[in-house]
Amino acid sequence: MIKIYTTQTCPYCVMAKNYFQEKGVQYEEANVSVDEKAREEMINKSHQMGVPVIDINGAIIVGFNRSEIDKALGK
Amino acid sequence: MYDLIIIGGGPAGIAAGIYAARKKLKTLLIAESIGGQPVIASEINNFIGFKSLSGVQLKQIFEEHLRAHSGIEIEEGPKVAKIEKEKDVFAVFTDKDKSYQTKTVLIAVGSSPRRLNAPGEKKFEGKGVFYCSICDAPLMKNKTTVVVGGGNSGFYAVLDLLSYASKIYVLEYSDTLRADPVYIEKAEKSGKVEIIKMAEVKEILGDKFVSSIKYQDRNSGEIKEIKAEGVFVSIGYQSNSAMAEGLVDIDDKGKIVVNHKTQATSCEGVWSAGDVTDVLYNQINVAIGDAIKAVLSIYEHLNKKPQSH
Repeated sequence: MIKIYTTQTCPYCVMAKNYFQEKGVQYEEANVSVDEKAREEMINKSHQMGVPVIDINGAIIVGFNRSEIDKALGK
Repeated sequence: MYDLIIIGGGPAGIAAGIYAARKKLKTLLIAESIGGQPVIASEINNFIGFKSLSGVQLKQIFEEHLRAHSGIEIEEGPKVAKIEKEKDVFAVFTDKDKSYQTKTVLIAVGSSPRRLNAPGEKKFEGKGVFYCSICDAPLMKNKTTVVVGGGNSGFYAVLDLLSYASKIYVLEYSDTLRADPVYIEKAEKSGKVEIIKMAEVKEILGDKFVSSIKYQDRNSGEIKEIKAEGVFVSIGYQSNSAMAEGLVDIDDKGKIVVNHKTQATSCEGVWSAGDVTDVLYNQINVAIGDAIKAVLSIYEHLNKKPQSH
């Protein structure tokens, strides 16, 4: 499962989502500025508050980093 | 062996890539990510030809134009760790333990947000200490937040925070704000911004996350503390010139020294453009122009080389 924690204004979140779309990868999005539960979940997973946080089957990536995403996707 | 390796994927790197492709130079562009610094701008109103667009929109336009040229190879993701010169050939090493050989290099790696280097800053990065206000301002909903820096980038952060934070303190080191008056006015009108000048940040404190910031009043010498859950550091930018240390001349501010006619550095075969250089004006339009100058100069250099030997 892939989940991305975002805020509505974050450019790197947009870039990360575009990247998944380009690759045809399905993902779930949670906006942590309005969704308190998702926010806590994100903090618990990443031990920090910055966005985006991307959870790829348990591999936690903070920020938009193409090579880390590729690695976690197993490419 | 490449004719040219462009390092950096911001406006300068992209402009250079397009020109190099049109000149049919065998080119590799290596960038951690395409788009560069403008990506985090919520609105750009001075990019010529466009009345208004966001940083992400600009990135998309740039990337589309760059990728329309099939002649250029793009390695997106790796970071260049060092560049070595041996006779007339350069080896460019990435953090992925790969190396590439090239006749010329264009360094266009831009700049990054400057750090305060105050105790606690590193420990709490992402845990209340932020550098990208457009990204992380929404997390400050109903929270007290401190913005460090009274220049334009500081006030961009203030404006990004206005619709979320309950209270915003601006800490400015000097006795004057360098931000444009329109931004200061907008901030003051909101009624929730308090500006403190002559303030030197001493420490960022907290347990797991930031809970307060200590600063010294530079007039009285008194140490004061503000309870806040967020600290946005906006004290300008520093040149990402580290990879070029020892290879080219770098000035005392860490910027690569270039010949402003050609963008050539002190090392023959290496050019540089954009915010990593000692250019006076850090503007997208200027970075693009400088990168184009560099590629035209590189093209001339590559073409005249055989005759000079």
